Amino acid sequence: MFHTTFYLRRLHSLCGLFVLGFFIFEHIATNSVAMAGPTIFNGVMGMVEEIPKPIFYAIEIGLYAIPILFHGLYGIYIALQANNNPRRYGYLRNWNFTLQRWTAWFLVVFLIWHVGYLRIYLKGIQGNPISFELLQNMFQNPVVAILYVLGMWAAIFHFCNGITTFCMTWGITKGPRAQNAISVISMLLCAGLCLITLAFMSSYFIY
Amino acid sequence: MADKVRFVIERQDGPNEKPYEQEFDVDYRPGLNVVAALMEIQKNPMTVDGKKVAPVTWECNCLEKVCGACMMVINGRARQACCALVDELSKPIHLAPARTFPVIRDLLIDRSVMFESLKKIQGWVELDGSWEVKDAPIQNPYTAATAYEISHCMTCGCCLEACPNVGPQSDFIGPAPTVQAYLFNLHPLGKFDAPKRLNALMEKGGITSCGNSQNCVEVCPKSIKLTTYLAQLNRDVNKQALRNIFNF
Repeated sequence: MFHTTFYLRRLHSLCGLFVLGFFIFEHIATNSVAMAGPTIFNGVMGMVEEIPKPIFYAIEIGLYAIPILFHGLYGIYIALQANNNPRRYGYLRNWNFTLQRWTAWFLVVFLIWHVGYLRIYLKGIQGNPISFELLQNMFQNPVVAILYVLGMWAAIFHFCNGITTFCMTWGITKGPRAQNAISVISMLLCAGLCLITLAFMSSYFIY
Repeated sequence: MADKVRFVIERQDGPNEKPYEQEFDVDYRPGLNVVAALMEIQKNPMTVDGKKVAPVTWECNCLEKVCGACMMVINGRARQACCALVDELSKPIHLAPARTFPVIRDLLIDRSVMFESLKKIQGWVELDGSWEVKDAPIQNPYTAATAYEISHCMTCGCCLEACPNVGPQSDFIGPAPTVQAYLFNLHPLGKFDAPKRLNALMEKGGITSCGNSQNCVEVCPKSIKLTTYLAQLNRDVNKQALRNIFNF
């Protein structure tokens, strides 16, 4: 009678909205500093480095690594249970359902590359601090820059559509009117965050 | 010479046979529906190439969108064949079995999985027992309209066929049996077993397998507000989980 599936699903939902949602906002906030130019951006990156290492690692592992691994691995299991059918049933919500899974698959691959290369290889193994120049150099390759924009957009859509489905899963929005209202608000948020991403990504080509 | 309507039918000779397509022409007449057209094919099962073949197997009963038996995939969409008017369909008309369920033959499917799911969620009201049976209690007038709406469900399986999370790849019992739990939880006698039903919905393959694609509410031939009741049940199972944890 211990409903493991129920609690895992609910944990997956909470973890995605609050922990990974916070992570997305943190990423957008710190990366937006790039718009202020290399000096200020590198200053902020230096401030992050000032956080005592034990606290920094505890946050990185406890708040980022474990929730992402759980949400990702359990999410793969959920995505495998879907037989996406938007071509037969082309309703907006069904397209969102499908995109939620397509963005998830893209993000699994993107995050392995992003975390593996930037955090583990460049910063962890080679000991390079993340700086404006390092990112600017990386984005000189247009394929990398485009993949990073797509990675951000995928994460933002997945998060914003997740707000809509979270409200359904927790019974917060019950009727179609409330559900549509939340859906419109979260898609506006999605559009806004996507534009901010374009703005801070373009700063690497301006400075 | 009457106009002809072309039907492209996905057929299958047995549960484990390979599916194949055959085309048939049926004489047009005003008001023709898909079941009536299948009856015409049954009378003279001849393909467009003039080949005599075994008649197409399908299921139907009431012919007025009440029993749910004639559900099939018509032009890619799950619906009742009896109320699918030929005039309103794009031609040629494609018919296929609802492959979310095991196919027995041609368009005939085995929907017994839905009956098994109704047993899981206790889709009935407990009446018999060692206690005294008195007059029936009255329905709550505030929820009677909702109960009446959900009671229209005819377990046709349209919502299960349209749901991306129902199928051989998943153990989700589907929208129809899930929402039936809410109907019996509303019942003045059935509500005593509400915790049992909510606990059953928390099991693997229960309401947590819903992915909010909301196809169910779009295809339901009885216009039951399935997503609204799924959200209500989500509320109810969350409260039940708290009751389970804190034992109150």
